[in-house]
Amino acid sequence: MSPVADTNILVFACRWCGLIGADGAGRRRTELPASFRVIPVECAGYVEPDAVIRAFASGAAGVAVLGCHVGGCRFNDANHPALKRLELLRTLLDTTGIGGDRLLLGFGTAHEHHQWADTIRDFHRHVEGLPSMESWMTSVAGDR
Amino acid sequence: MKKIGVFLCNCFGEIGRTVDLESIRKRLASDPSVGFVALRESLCMPGDAAEVRATLRERGVGRVLLGACSPYGRMETVRLGLAKEGVDMRKVRGADLREGCAWIHGKNPAGATRKAANQLDMELARLQNGQDSMDIDIRVRSEALVIGAGPAGLAAACGLAGMGIPVHLVDRGSAPGGLLNVVTKVYPTEVSGPAKIKSLVEMTGSSPLIRFYGKTKVASVKGYAGDFKVALAGPEGNTSLRAGAVVLATGARLLFPRGLYGYGKMKNVITQMEMERQFAAGNVACGNAVFIQCVGARCAERPYCSTICCPLSLKNAMRILDEAPGSTVTILHRDIMTPGSTLEAYYRKALHRGVRFVRFDAQRPPEIRGNGLVSGVEVFDVLSGVTRSIEADLLVLSTPLVADPESAALARMLEIPVDRHGFIAEVYPVHPVETRNDGVFICGTARWPASSDQAIAQGEAAAVKAASFLGKETVPALTMSRVPGTKLGHAEANAEACTGCGNCVAVCPYRACKLQRVGQRSVSRVIKVRCKACGSCMSVCPNGAMQIPEQNYRVTGAMIRRAFREVR
Ligand SMILES: Cc1cc2nc3c(=O)[nH]c(=O)nc-3n(C[C@H](O)[C@H](O)[C@H](O)COP(=O)(O)OP(=O)(O)OC[C@H]3O[C@@H](n4cnc5c(N)ncnc54)[C@H](O)[C@@H]3O)c2cc1C
Ligand code: SF4
Ligand code: SF4
Repeated sequence: MSPVADTNILVFACRWCGLIGADGAGRRRTELPASFRVIPVECAGYVEPDAVIRAFASGAAGVAVLGCHVGGCRFNDANHPALKRLELLRTLLDTTGIGGDRLLLGFGTAHEHHQWADTIRDFHRHVEGLPSMESWMTSVAGDR
Repeated sequence: MKKIGVFLCNCFGEIGRTVDLESIRKRLASDPSVGFVALRESLCMPGDAAEVRATLRERGVGRVLLGACSPYGRMETVRLGLAKEGVDMRKVRGADLREGCAWIHGKNPAGATRKAANQLDMELARLQNGQDSMDIDIRVRSEALVIGAGPAGLAAACGLAGMGIPVHLVDRGSAPGGLLNVVTKVYPTEVSGPAKIKSLVEMTGSSPLIRFYGKTKVASVKGYAGDFKVALAGPEGNTSLRAGAVVLATGARLLFPRGLYGYGKMKNVITQMEMERQFAAGNVACGNAVFIQCVGARCAERPYCSTICCPLSLKNAMRILDEAPGSTVTILHRDIMTPGSTLEAYYRKALHRGVRFVRFDAQRPPEIRGNGLVSGVEVFDVLSGVTRSIEADLLVLSTPLVADPESAALARMLEIPVDRHGFIAEVYPVHPVETRNDGVFICGTARWPASSDQAIAQGEAAAVKAASFLGKETVPALTMSRVPGTKLGHAEANAEACTGCGNCVAVCPYRACKLQRVGQRSVSRVIKVRCKACGSCMSVCPNGAMQIPEQNYRVTGAMIRRAFREVR
């Protein structure tokens, strides 16, 4: 079991927008909290709801899925149904006690590195303010 | 299995200044799957690739993990450099330690080092668990089907034939030419329609590579890029043929203004099409002519501009003044749309020629007067704020081009979408003549209102796009990517695990998943040519039956588990 840090954030970033935003922020040497890890994906369509749950079970305190604007997807709008699936997952996160607000869905274009940096900073701050995931982890462990 | 070699790049201090590469080296070296870890000053400088290649040979490692910069920095250059040296690019993966780590966590070296270790670990998971998609070669039939022989289809057919590709050119009409056949003067050059496309029509008749099928429709299309099986229904019965690519150029038609401004009730209210026919018949009306623009266009139902109607009215207005001296012409418009230098000059010419322009507001459209025949128009002139009363002996309604329902049926047959107005949708704005279905191209007014010049240019573009595919004997399916570069892989359905639920079929944005009957069961199958590796099917399969080998559930699972692993 991974240690539970209060701000561990797992970011799924699509290769056509999210990841390019991250690259732009990097080039400008925008100082960001080192709490997040990135899994590059081809498209937000890759992110199965299951993977988000597994991320929480593996020590993430927040999960962000950053893809292209709806309508700007490189894969013929594959991000649109992905967005719907993940919004549905949010309700599930609420019922399981994890909390839907630990899932962030962000959509931007490749050029919006400022937005990217702000998204990460704001989400970091938001997750930091939430109660620790430790209690949820123990409650799940106790249920077993 | 051969071990993994790791190269950590210092980037002349850009990475090593923040990230403690030495501690990372030690940590990675203890991983049993790792053969060796080398620290390097750079990876992208001349000679670096050859040195890396030599090390790989010497150590006998098969897979490579690079800890360097972002994929949009120099990482792709490094991977391509290695590929040039003969290293299989699919076996080289990189973790971003510069843009994604050192440069954004410069004030937090400990945090940056932890993150770098985790990100490298995650990419290691990709090398350990990822597999390669099996590539298949698509055999390409070097023949094309062009549907519609208007200016766009003619340009596409002649372009293809010019590149040595045999073309089957199909039109439901008896002769080629499309809408231009009715136009006696084509703006802005004012040559006749048939003269404008004379050379194309001649080539269609004379080229041994073009076969024209008049009065013919497409009955069915099956198959995929490289080999479409087509059935045609013509006057001599059905013909079947095969083509590697299909160009759709079936045009559009003018909206019929039934019930608008007295059309259909009053004889002197006509459409632009009827105006063209009157010119062709040589009976140009004399008297006071009034044109109304944007009839049924740029409104809630059809918010688009039809592109051709403004220049069309300018052309016909000047023609009336020229051919019927003593006439007056007034154009009632909401905006005059004449983009580009040529059309703008055309507008100025009309102004100088004495055409009158009155601008009205969409909320206060002109009103017609008269009984049986229109005798005049009342219009509120928004520029001067007065209501004008204009005598009219002829009222011409400029209606927009609208989609042909038959084209929408063809689109369904070809498995490509139409937009909400029924025009054929391009796949993405940066691929204007390509569609969701590889091997199917679009041009002309079937995709959007366009002038004949634009339709011809699009036809030529479609020809070049089709030829770049048809010119090859075989094409690896893995290169059939919509986005730059090759695609990641393609999805593969596990027939054992699939329960035939159809989720993947519903979600696939490229119609690449199909249910197939196997004995008593339905199982999904992926058409590799179409799959673009978007991952959607993987996400919705309840049985884990859909996987893209390069980033399968084991890869993702391992990456997630390692993301926050403690670093000692
Ligand atoms: C009244 C009028 C005046 C115009 N004047 C000008 C002008 O002055 N200057 C200018 O630049 N543009 C003008 N245009 C626009 C011009 O006509 C179009 O831009 C041009 O014709 C578009 O070419 P296309 O090949 O895309 O379509 P089209 O010309 O419409 O050709 C489509 C062809 O496809 C065939 N077809 C359709 N459906 C099927 C099917 N299901 N199966 C088989 N075949 C099919 C049709 O028979 C037709 O031959 C005018 C248009 C109109 C309506
Ligand atoms: S990966 Fe995407 S394009 Fe490929 S079959 Fe699955 S849903 Fe279709
Ligand atoms: S989603 Fe999975 S189980 Fe359902 S049809 Fe597709 S591959 Fe089969």
